[in-house]
Amino acid sequence: MEFKEVVGRRRSIRYFLPWKPVPREKVQIILEAARLASRAGNADFARAIVVERDTIAKADLQALTLPVNAGMIEMAPVHIYWWGDLQAFTRDMPSRATEQVNMGVLNISHGWTHKFVKEVAYPQVVQVFSSDPVLNAKVTGCESGLAISQALLAAVDEGLGTMLCTYPEEPARKVFGVPDHWTALWVQFVGYPAEGWEAGGQRPRPPLGSLFHEGRYGSPFRGSEEVVAQLRAQNMLQDPAPLPWRKEEVRAVSRMLGLPEE
Amino acid sequence: MSTNFNDSTTVQTWLNGVHEQSGVSPEADVKRVQVLEEFCTRIGKRPDEIIDDCLRDVDGGKKIRVKGRRFYADKISEFEQQAEGTSGERRQKANYVRSFLIHNGVLIQTSPLF
Repeated sequence: MEFKEVVGRRRSIRYFLPWKPVPREKVQIILEAARLASRAGNADFARAIVVERDTIAKADLQALTLPVNAGMIEMAPVHIYWWGDLQAFTRDMPSRATEQVNMGVLNISHGWTHKFVKEVAYPQVVQVFSSDPVLNAKVTGCESGLAISQALLAAVDEGLGTMLCTYPEEPARKVFGVPDHWTALWVQFVGYPAEGWEAGGQRPRPPLGSLFHEGRYGSPFRGSEEVVAQLRAQNMLQDPAPLPWRKEEVRAVSRMLGLPEE
Repeated sequence: MSTNFNDSTTVQTWLNGVHEQSGVSPEADVKRVQVLEEFCTRIGKRPDEIIDDCLRDVDGGKKIRVKGRRFYADKISEFEQQAEGTSGERRQKANYVRSFLIHNGVLIQTSPLF
């Protein structure tokens, strides 16, 4: 699938075929896409625990269940529990920055040397990120989110349905035995969609210029209708929700899965 | 339990929500309400009491009573297991009761039947 169509097709899928397993190869592709995402200092912010619904202990699945995820957690055959590593930057930065100087990624043209990494950049990074947990959490969340976003798009590209949802952090720590410096982010449910891939249509977004500015805040970014037409032709911009048949689809899928339909 | 269920505020809220959000005809309301009445009789609670057990007023809105919701989620599951009919029919009955809670603002989900 072309990239723009992948972006356009991505939805939060909430109805999965519970009986259809996800091939392990596709899960690996999702994780590989996440692994290759941009990340500050090439540090390992995004971590994940992959779970197959049918192999996890029932008591553990129950512990991970919240009212808002209860339906999906039982429908989706695969769950990817995403975590952010709060020690990633301070742990990984010196060695990764050194590698990047050696690889010609961080270069003298931009002021980078081994001396700079060792004596200036790293001590500052450690000092700032160790003393400012809010900044550390912000960066960890953002950088992990880049990986998660690629994981979502990779799932769509593989013909799968996927969505992000919340999960309870402390029970998950006990179930998965993760290090204390991992912070819970989102669970990504993965499976074959039981609803149509359109899932009722593309979700509304505010106009481009109300979200993004040009030059300074208050000066809307002006998009062009030609670009909009091009993106529609390339399936990145699609018919908005709700599609005309959505209510009937929801009822039929809910009935099929034994969920409340009205 | 003798009550005119249709007079209950929470039942009216439920039925209005069903008609509006799901676009369902009121013709099926009789069966829906009958099932809720069966559930209420079984557990000895009126519809408004069930919702009071699950929601409380806070500044600016309502908050879920976690224990209440869990209690009724379990009671609905018991109701489903003990009701008459095929597994699909029993699930439909339980879903009517879930629908009552949902349309009164109590988010509750269930596992798929497969």
